[in-house]
Amino acid sequence: GDVLLPAPQSISILSTNMKHFLTWSPVIVQGATVRYSVEFQGEYEREYANGSWIPISECSLTTATVCNITEDISATVAYKLRVRAELGATRSPWGTTKGFFSRAMTSLTPPVLRVVADGHHVLVELADMGPSFQFHVLYWKKGQESRVQQKVVKEVSSVVHLDTMEAGAEYCVKARAHVEAINRSSSFSPTQCVRAQGDTSVWL
Amino acid sequence: SGELNCSLPSPRNVHFESINMKNVLHWSAPEGTGNGVLYKVKYTVYGVGKWIRKPECRNINRTWCDLSSETSDYEEQYYASVKAFLNGTCSDWMETTRFNPLTDTKIDPPMVSVSSTDRSISIILTAPEKWKRSPEEESISLLQVYPGLQYNVSVLNKKTKKRWFFSISNNTLVVPWLEPGTAYCVSAQIHVTTPLLDSDFSKEHCITTLKDK
Amino acid sequence: LGACRVSMSMTEVRAGFTAIKANIQSRDPIRTLSILSHPHSLHKVKSSDRCCITHQLFTFYVDKVFKHCRTEDSFVNRKISSIANSFLSARRKLGQCHEQNKCVCGEESTEKFKQILANYEGLNVTSAAMKSLGELDILLDWMEKSR
Repeated sequence: GDVLLPAPQSISILSTNMKHFLTWSPVIVQGATVRYSVEFQGEYEREYANGSWIPISECSLTTATVCNITEDISATVAYKLRVRAELGATRSPWGTTKGFFSRAMTSLTPPVLRVVADGHHVLVELADMGPSFQFHVLYWKKGQESRVQQKVVKEVSSVVHLDTMEAGAEYCVKARAHVEAINRSSSFSPTQCVRAQGDTSVWL
Repeated sequence: SGELNCSLPSPRNVHFESINMKNVLHWSAPEGTGNGVLYKVKYTVYGVGKWIRKPECRNINRTWCDLSSETSDYEEQYYASVKAFLNGTCSDWMETTRFNPLTDTKIDPPMVSVSSTDRSISIILTAPEKWKRSPEEESISLLQVYPGLQYNVSVLNKKTKKRWFFSISNNTLVVPWLEPGTAYCVSAQIHVTTPLLDSDFSKEHCITTLKDK
Repeated sequence: LGACRVSMSMTEVRAGFTAIKANIQSRDPIRTLSILSHPHSLHKVKSSDRCCITHQLFTFYVDKVFKHCRTEDSFVNRKISSIANSFLSARRKLGQCHEQNKCVCGEESTEKFKQILANYEGLNVTSAAMKSLGELDILLDWMEKSR
């Protein structure tokens, strides 16, 4: 006879650095492969499109219990997500996220920063965190903490020139990630200091 | 003239190729036709009611037609269309997709000029100009067309092989405190964030800083 | 836009529209009519009216356009949802500015918007909505130029 499929449980969203994933617990049916389908609903669909839901094709009839929803959570509004189990023609009820999810709730980690001195020049290399990110890079001459300068770095595919240093002086640098779309920043990376004339960076 | 029988296959891949808003219509000959095919071209401003023939591209045997003059207002969008003729038969008109000069053009790299002293190099960048009808016509820099235009500049130390990048909004960059008697190679790219348009990097301009006095 | 700011990621909306532009515009066979750009061009709007026209146009797209653009293509529907939710978020911010009387509607913008609605109502609703969505780059070009 037809199996009664329960709705997936423990549905939650993991979101770090503007990458969002929906996860849920597997529905177990002995000797059978259960598949899942995921749909999303933004505030627009709730208020202007009769509460309609939009399927995520990459997570339709998937056997995985995780779905990358980053591409669809692409506006700063409140979203709802739902998932159901499917086994042949049998479908479970929808399991829906409790409450709403907005990408403004993502957790932001400090950027990975490498500071290099090359002659009189201080340069920074920042690990790419994705298209939503830019970086606030703060730098100052050691001992002159009150005269901090800031540079906004958007292109991270390379070694970015920060500034020129006075001979023999030591300069310190730290950076944080910033997402304009949600107007939030991460905490700062640890400070790194370098000395003019080719010193390697020193962790503080 | 009597109505022609339009059973000839249509021109293929009718599209605009645009560089710095020099907008040239291109197409391929209809399938299976050899030499002798002639073409005529028309265009329309999107939202305005009429198609306009391009006299200079009437009964031509080449497969391109320069419509830069007709599509120079980049606050408008356009369609163009081509019809083929061969031995008394003709094809249907074949249209482009909607052409938006502002977002569908390709931008050339900036012009780069470099000078040096013993311990610094000075870089001056010039954004390309928008296509214009004649040399006498007033020049419009693409900087005026794309207010958010920026430059990405690469400076390569030929001795250490280290490459630095700068991202600047104004068009001059001085890199002080360099090594005397050393060759540096500079190239630059134009970057527009929205609409997203990036030029290629320019070819490298190398210069050697003067030897220490 | 004067005292008001549109907090919308133009880069994201541009990317979303560019991904579906050819698909959407191919569904609009009418060359001789435009919703946004004829007979009056957005580019002729006075700067003092820019905020109000933007707010009216966001409301127009949210209330009238997106809901009639559902297609058989899941990818296109997802991108339309992304743009619609971005417009909804931006409209809310502009609405707050409107309520604080910093986004005043002059006679010109009221006339201009009436013309847009007349263009829209001159077609059946699905054709009008699809044409309006296909003209999103006209709105984005104008918004970026006047930033």
